[in-house]
Amino acid sequence: MHIVKEHITIKNEELILTNQRALYWQREHALILSDLHIGKTAHFRKHGIPMPDEILQRDLQRLKELINHFKPQRLYIVGDLFHAERNSDITTFKSWLQQFPELKIILIQGNHDRQSKSLMDDLNIKVLSKLEINPFTFIHDISEIQTDNFKISGHLHPGILLKGKGKQSLKLPCYQITKHQLILPAFSLFTGLNTKNTPKDAILYAFTDTSITRF
Amino acid sequence: MSQFKESEGLRIINNWMAEKGQAPFPFQLQTWQRFSNRYSGMVVAPTGFGKTFSVFLAVVIDYLNQPNQYSKGLKLLWISPLRSLAKDLAKAMTEAVDEIGLDWSVQVRNGDTPTAVRRKQERLMPDVLLTTPETMHLLFSQKKNSKWFSNVKCVAIDEWHELIGNKRGVLTELAISQLKRYSPKLRIWGITATIGNLEEAKHVLLPYDDLKITQVTAKQQKKLDIISVLPDQIEVLPWAGHLGASMVDKILPIIAANTTTLIFTNTRGQAELWYQLLLNAQPDLAGLLAIHHGSIDKKLRNWIEDNISSGYLKAVVCTSSLDLGVDFKPVDCVIQIGSVKGVARFMQRAGRSGHSPFERSKIYFIPTHSLELVEVSALKAAIKEKRVEARDPMVLTFDVLVQFMVTLAVGEGFNSEELFHQIKAVHAFQYITKDDWQWCLHFITKGGKTLKSYEEFHKVILDDDGKYKVKRRRISMLHRMNIGAIVSEVNVMVKYKTGGYIGMIEEFFISKLKPGDSFILAGRVLELVQIKDMTVLVRRSKAKKAISPSWLGGRLPLTSHLSHYLRLKLSDALLPSRLEKELRFLNPLVSRQDKHSHIPKADEFLVELIETKDGYHLFMYPFEGRLVHEVFSSLMAYRISKLKELTFTIAMNDYGFELLSDQPIPVDDSNIETLLGKDNLMDDVIASINASEMASRKFRDIAVIAGLVVQSQPGTRKNNKSLQSSSGLIFRVLEDYEPDNLLLRQAYTEVFNQQLEEARLQQAFDRISKSKIIVKHAKSFTPLSFPLKVDSLRGTMSNESLDKRIQRIKEQAFKID
Repeated sequence: MHIVKEHITIKNEELILTNQRALYWQREHALILSDLHIGKTAHFRKHGIPMPDEILQRDLQRLKELINHFKPQRLYIVGDLFHAERNSDITTFKSWLQQFPELKIILIQGNHDRQSKSLMDDLNIKVLSKLEINPFTFIHDISEIQTDNFKISGHLHPGILLKGKGKQSLKLPCYQITKHQLILPAFSLFTGLNTKNTPKDAILYAFTDTSITRF
Repeated sequence: MSQFKESEGLRIINNWMAEKGQAPFPFQLQTWQRFSNRYSGMVVAPTGFGKTFSVFLAVVIDYLNQPNQYSKGLKLLWISPLRSLAKDLAKAMTEAVDEIGLDWSVQVRNGDTPTAVRRKQERLMPDVLLTTPETMHLLFSQKKNSKWFSNVKCVAIDEWHELIGNKRGVLTELAISQLKRYSPKLRIWGITATIGNLEEAKHVLLPYDDLKITQVTAKQQKKLDIISVLPDQIEVLPWAGHLGASMVDKILPIIAANTTTLIFTNTRGQAELWYQLLLNAQPDLAGLLAIHHGSIDKKLRNWIEDNISSGYLKAVVCTSSLDLGVDFKPVDCVIQIGSVKGVARFMQRAGRSGHSPFERSKIYFIPTHSLELVEVSALKAAIKEKRVEARDPMVLTFDVLVQFMVTLAVGEGFNSEELFHQIKAVHAFQYITKDDWQWCLHFITKGGKTLKSYEEFHKVILDDDGKYKVKRRRISMLHRMNIGAIVSEVNVMVKYKTGGYIGMIEEFFISKLKPGDSFILAGRVLELVQIKDMTVLVRRSKAKKAISPSWLGGRLPLTSHLSHYLRLKLSDALLPSRLEKELRFLNPLVSRQDKHSHIPKADEFLVELIETKDGYHLFMYPFEGRLVHEVFSSLMAYRISKLKELTFTIAMNDYGFELLSDQPIPVDDSNIETLLGKDNLMDDVIASINASEMASRKFRDIAVIAGLVVQSQPGTRKNNKSLQSSSGLIFRVLEDYEPDNLLLRQAYTEVFNQQLEEARLQQAFDRISKSKIIVKHAKSFTPLSFPLKVDSLRGTMSNESLDKRIQRIKEQAFKID
């Protein structure tokens, strides 16, 4: 796995965007990501749609390498850690977690996160509806809050549609940044892209396996 | 034989017909007799000659002759591709049995049937049931469905030619095989219009060795008048769509002179456009002119159909939505606007007028640009020589197979060994291997090959009694919602904000609009207010200008059959015979083409190089239809860019394609034969196109049919949101983790067979390699290249500036004269 980095500054804070769908906040020693959707593939399987477990394995492998690379103290998940009901994927996740006993995990609750408190306690994950660490407010869905703080959120799975000559087109995931907010790409590879609703003044950082490009 | 001729049943039917002043056609009589002699078979007859009564009365006569052979309940199953057909057929059949004095009940069952009626049918099936292939499969997904079908004597497949070329045909083949299992002595009868491969069509429908098989062909020929409407002036530089408005004045008198006219356009967008044009030109047509296409509310469509039948409507602008269906008695005239792209489709549409047996069908052809007149001439030649396209049956469609397997598992369950033998007898799966079968079983029971990857997978299970079954209710429900092989674009409902449903529209189109924008649907100008939960809320708009949606499914490619005749006629057009008025009219255009460039003879292939301010253009004219040209053009771009690194913009239509570059294109007499060579053809094609991108698009339908993608139903509250994913995503997942997945393989096969039309491409290159290749340098756009240029401009510019731009190009072209 190749981690490509892009340093940006927002509100005088330095953030590192990566092409692996997570950003790192040095000052807080925090790795920040959104929309992991753990349990999605098992949820599909339970309903008769065969989606292989390797999808989850690969997401977790990527996360592991990011953690090993940045050595964060904290993991902020800006919503949708889990996709649906409690299923075998969550068991997989639990045993995966045991390799990082020191890591503090905070989940900002998303629309998919409806797991019981006991499960979260069991996983040692702290659940909040939002998190404020100046100058940022972390929230899953920006449309649900009014604040003057700079917001960091997920939920939308932002993407960019690039059009070339001869009817060529290409969709890439991206970070979407405006004056008031940063929207993270979905961490899981088993998610769709939303290329609509891009605000006019937004700066997009699109990425591939080997590069990050600003639009 | 004489026994049948003297039978009581035949006597009753003959008397009944005589009372109405009718006598059976020879082909009807022949069908009745063969049926009574226990034959299965296929009836080939044009519409309007009583093909329905050939098979229907055959069963009635057989019943009258030996009622003790028939049990209570279902006797005849009538499967037709269209729901709208069923209602009127049922009416005609009910009338017949009533008059004959039979106590049979004839009923319809399809998606529109109310639940109460369905439950009643499930308690006691009628004697005759009219239904669709999809509804048959839904019936198979019910518990204890076999008891309904065990005494069926005959299954009739109506309009078989409409089903055979697509996956609904495979659904039908499977339905027949299941019925035959329930009722082994079943007689199977198909009814079809003339197509190019009748023998094959018969074999696909009737692949069973234990059947006595016959074919009955009606000798009656529909008389057909093809009248092309010539514009007042010839445009020597033609462009698509241009003639539109000026032709309205030619259409109005035709509408006035006939009782009821059907006006066929090729796309829903065009239908909306022409509806507006006609109304603007003659406002008092309001109320007498209607518009009918697939995106219009079903109730409105039914109303329109009823009012065509009653003769109330003067004219209806429509798309292929009215290609098939009920016989509209008052329709005495058909107008086709623009190219019809195929011989069979043209004849089908023409046949919508003059429906009773001895009337003539009358079709007017309105060109949208003058080159299309060559097409009329080609159509006339093809029809005269009775050359109609073949409809190739689909094979090894694993998506349909796994759907069918789950359908049976939801129903009564199936035994693997038994079902494998049943499937292997079906034409579509005659080449299925034991391994393929195991894969399918695995797919529905375990999810995939590597068991560990599919923990918790739950769909079909092997029950204690050795049968594969679906046990969980939610999975049954999800599956029933997904049965069928028609995968539509994602459509959203359009409603007035104040309430009132207008129709459906593709999400793709609506996603490009902003609130406040106006668009046209169902002949109404509407303003977008808001999009909410798969529903578009609108209000009436006063805007004069509005966008009319271009539906993605709208573009039909030219058939190879028609393109063959087109090539012949184009070279004829230089020296038209006295009787070919279209070609004579076109002579100035063709002469100009010949003067400034060249008119390719039937054994020639024309390449034009033109340099303009825009850059360097290369035009080629294979006349193979848009689909083939799409592949052909990217292949040429690929081969040329191996000579020199170039970036091309590509444009194409049904006649040819254009490559445009900002630098000179290194093509001349010395290398053209290599560029157009047959060597490494398919390798180069694969290198030039993104095959996996195309396969991913094909996979969309496959994923839905195989149940990998759960379709959200517009308007229903339960949208199964947590199970939403895109087929593109699943395609990538399978490419990564299960590259030998049969459904994935099927997507690539479909790309080669359908999208790339590999066989047709090979043939085209064979033909070109035998042709004389003519490379011409033209000083400006020629009559052949001009329509292509306009099409490529259209993609990039708004309409107003487009008109100005076209005028300028034309003026430049004429300056060289």
